[in-house]
Amino acid sequence: MSESGVIHDIGYQRYSGPRLGRGYAVRSLYAHSLRTAFGLGRSGKSKIFPWFAAGIALLVAVIVTAVRAQMGKPVLSYTSYADAISILVVLFCAVIGPELVSRDLRSGVLPLYFSRPLTRADYALAKLAATVSAAWLLLAMPLTIMFLGGAFGAGGAKEIWTEVGRYAAGLGYAALFALLFGAISTLVGSLASRRAVAAAIIAGFFLMATAVSGVVSGIAFATDSTALQHTFGLLSPATLLQGVHAWAFAEQPGDLETIPVGGLGPVYGLVFAGVVALCTLLLLARYRKVAR
Amino acid sequence: MNLTIASITLRGLLGRARFLFLLPLPVIMLGLAWLADSLGAAPADWVGPIVGGLGVAVVLPVMALIVGTGVLGSEIDDGTVVHILTKPLPRREIILAKLAVATGVTALVAGIPLFLVGLLAEGVRLGLGLFVAAVAGSLAYCALFLALSLLTRRPVLVGLAYVLLWEGLLGNLLKGTRLLSIQQNVVALADAISGSDLVKSTISTPFAVGAVVVFAVGGTWLAIDRLRSFSVAGETS
Repeated sequence: MSESGVIHDIGYQRYSGPRLGRGYAVRSLYAHSLRTAFGLGRSGKSKIFPWFAAGIALLVAVIVTAVRAQMGKPVLSYTSYADAISILVVLFCAVIGPELVSRDLRSGVLPLYFSRPLTRADYALAKLAATVSAAWLLLAMPLTIMFLGGAFGAGGAKEIWTEVGRYAAGLGYAALFALLFGAISTLVGSLASRRAVAAAIIAGFFLMATAVSGVVSGIAFATDSTALQHTFGLLSPATLLQGVHAWAFAEQPGDLETIPVGGLGPVYGLVFAGVVALCTLLLLARYRKVAR
Repeated sequence: MNLTIASITLRGLLGRARFLFLLPLPVIMLGLAWLADSLGAAPADWVGPIVGGLGVAVVLPVMALIVGTGVLGSEIDDGTVVHILTKPLPRREIILAKLAVATGVTALVAGIPLFLVGLLAEGVRLGLGLFVAAVAGSLAYCALFLALSLLTRRPVLVGLAYVLLWEGLLGNLLKGTRLLSIQQNVVALADAISGSDLVKSTISTPFAVGAVVVFAVGGTWLAIDRLRSFSVAGETS
């Protein structure tokens, strides 16, 4: 015992280099989560779904751009593009949101994160930002293709300038889309530790809400109730965004018909901001307690 | 068909908290139908959106997705499927028992509310038509999703893509894809059985019956075939 119990000094040293700190940890977590969303740096299998979704979105944009070049006028505006493929955005968020948060919960690695300078709120906000950015990129890539097609087909500098304004509005609207669906899907993903269940709940909720607002709009138009016609949009995320679109965004050539909002536009804006804020607060509250 | 497997599956399905997520959907559908009826709207105005837009397009596929992928998928996920596979039972019996339970539960949670909506709107015949169509739809959807849970590691994702993109997005853009959509064939069946003006479809009755049978038998056969050569793998990617 006397000889075998010795701890030899083989030159253990303290780490004396620079410590990168909290900001660096948050930025790394954000960057790696965003890469995970598109399957970058991971196996081929996990690239299939995000790029399948991006492929459909890009395909729609290419078709729209080609038709516009042939016909000489836009068939689908930058802002209505997001409305047109909203199902795809929902599906993408329903898969990516839980992918980013549920795996950490399920495999119980959160204590490892929280033993770093990273706080609980930092973790939640970095994951939320990554989901929102991924959904925004999903919409921004096709919008850029549409813009390039429009800008090269434009007659002069003035037309290109108008095109830039419309493109910027489209990117802004895409950001609202990404914020709403990203916040909802990250919250649900953080509550369910199984990705598949969370995805089914998010998509089921979206389908249900859309169908309910459809039923209420049917009742509203059948009974000629103006109040109901202007408020049914508040019942589902997709129509809520359409209401914000009708209220806050200037009309563009090639707009799809949006829902009637009457004088209630600001209410749509407020409800939108409220839902996003509520989801973020609930997410922060969830991560205040959760250990695994 | 093996009663022990069926009872274990049923217990595994109903004993989970996630089963409670299923209940709000049919309740909301019934609530909306009752609200529309009590507000005095004509059935012609609300039956289309509630039955076609909500019941057959959302409640039935979402229920079937959660139940159909849950009966076998959850056992594959947590690895307990090995216990069933090592028993001296033909794989056919395992699949048939699971399919029967999934179809029964889906028909119960989606079919009964649809029956009540039909009863409220017009009468027993519309209710029965919707119920029978919902049972046939449950069988077709559950067979499809059961086969999916053996074909891929992420059956819910693929099933969601089918429901959202194929039936939802493409079904509205390219009318031809409706022929290969379970949802539209279920509407056609309901139309044929009820003979009501409130539920309308463009698909002919023999085609709808054939399509539902092909989905149900094809899905079941595929599931049995896949379970015969099933290999248990660890979690990857």
